[in-house]
Amino acid sequence: MELLNRYLHAVRGWLPKPQQDDIIAELAEDLRSQIEDREAELGHPLDDDGVAAILKRRGNPMLVAAGYLPQRSLIGPVLFPVYQFILVLVILWILPSVFILIVGPATILSGRDPLVALIETLWTLLMSAVFAFGVITLVFAILERYPPEAMLKWEPRRLPRVPLAKAVTFPQPVSRYKAIAEVLTAVCASVAWIDVMWFRTSFHFGGVAIALAPIWRSFFWPILLVAFSGIPSGLIGWLRPWWMRTRAHSLVRLAADAIALVLTVALANMGPWVHVSGTNLPVAGLADANHWANVGTRIGLAALGVIMLGDGAQEAHRLVRREPAAGQAPVAVRR
Amino acid sequence: MQQTVSSSDHFESLRLELRRGCLILAVLAQLRAEHYGYALRKALADRGMAIDENTLYPLLRRLEAQGLLVSEWREEEKRNKRFYRLSAEGRRMLDQLLEEWRSIDASLARIVEGPVMA
Repeated sequence: MELLNRYLHAVRGWLPKPQQDDIIAELAEDLRSQIEDREAELGHPLDDDGVAAILKRRGNPMLVAAGYLPQRSLIGPVLFPVYQFILVLVILWILPSVFILIVGPATILSGRDPLVALIETLWTLLMSAVFAFGVITLVFAILERYPPEAMLKWEPRRLPRVPLAKAVTFPQPVSRYKAIAEVLTAVCASVAWIDVMWFRTSFHFGGVAIALAPIWRSFFWPILLVAFSGIPSGLIGWLRPWWMRTRAHSLVRLAADAIALVLTVALANMGPWVHVSGTNLPVAGLADANHWANVGTRIGLAALGVIMLGDGAQEAHRLVRREPAAGQAPVAVRR
Repeated sequence: MQQTVSSSDHFESLRLELRRGCLILAVLAQLRAEHYGYALRKALADRGMAIDENTLYPLLRRLEAQGLLVSEWREEEKRNKRFYRLSAEGRRMLDQLLEEWRSIDASLARIVEGPVMA
């Protein structure tokens, strides 16, 4: 019975204290009954191998004890899909994007050994991912135990509308909100570009002046053309949406993105882009300020290039997207 | 071969799911008469409803915590054993569950044996 006692002791360790004696007494009784039945079948007492076989069949002590414990999970099946989505979004998309576009270039361009800077960036990315994992898990574990009122009380009429992109008519008209946003963005970008190039060629902060390098002037007209192209395209999409179906609109946007990308790449290869001057700054400080202002501009141009690439890829995807197959359930059109 | 193993695993998983609810019904019905754990398991197995010990004992505790069973430790054959039986609430619950089970059984028979309708 030595083996049996060891087994019972091992199970006891995993059980909640108040129930230990009761559960172990019942488990012991059940196992003794099994051993007795087996001995009666064989006609002789069981040796250690025989007892071990019975205990082995009963299962690992930890798993046997787990059967008596209430089912517990840090994040339950209801919240798990949202938890998984947020985790993937933050750890696989947002964090790497921030590190590739901002933290990585800033660390590498800071003048340190590139290999050391790269390892440092990767280590910080790893630590940030672990931290994000911990925080997200903690937030969802709290939500699991204390679900907010809004999760329990919901109203069907407040559900978001079906996205226009899933509308049944193909090709579909351009979204009115998107067209208005396009017009406003194009107007603002064109006005800002003209202002910066012709009326305000330098910016003053206290005693420091930041002036744009002459290279920007040679790109004045192409950049203005790209910025301005959004005005007619957006106006037609807003006022006469049926003139410009998604695919035609996507072609215009794709062309504008391609030109903008070429301009951005060309500009990125022609630094320095800004010149910092100031009578109050020491020579070393001025050199540093010039360096960092140009590093910032380079990062800005890289980010702009990625945005153009992303927008272009989105438009290209819209262009090649297949229409829904015949018989596929249509989704109501909003407008 | 791979497909056969996978299909067999799939069947086993669905079979366990199908049996899960029936086990509670079988245990409650068997405990209309008093049994201790080991004897209950043998009685169920003899009637074709074999149940794993690691499933039975935690289930008995859950049902007791829900007030459907009562238990007491008593000496029998010079050993202390825990005897279970249905409580009054357990009897009412068993009647309701049996009624539900018969209704499900009848519906299923109509669905399985009746004509297939689109």
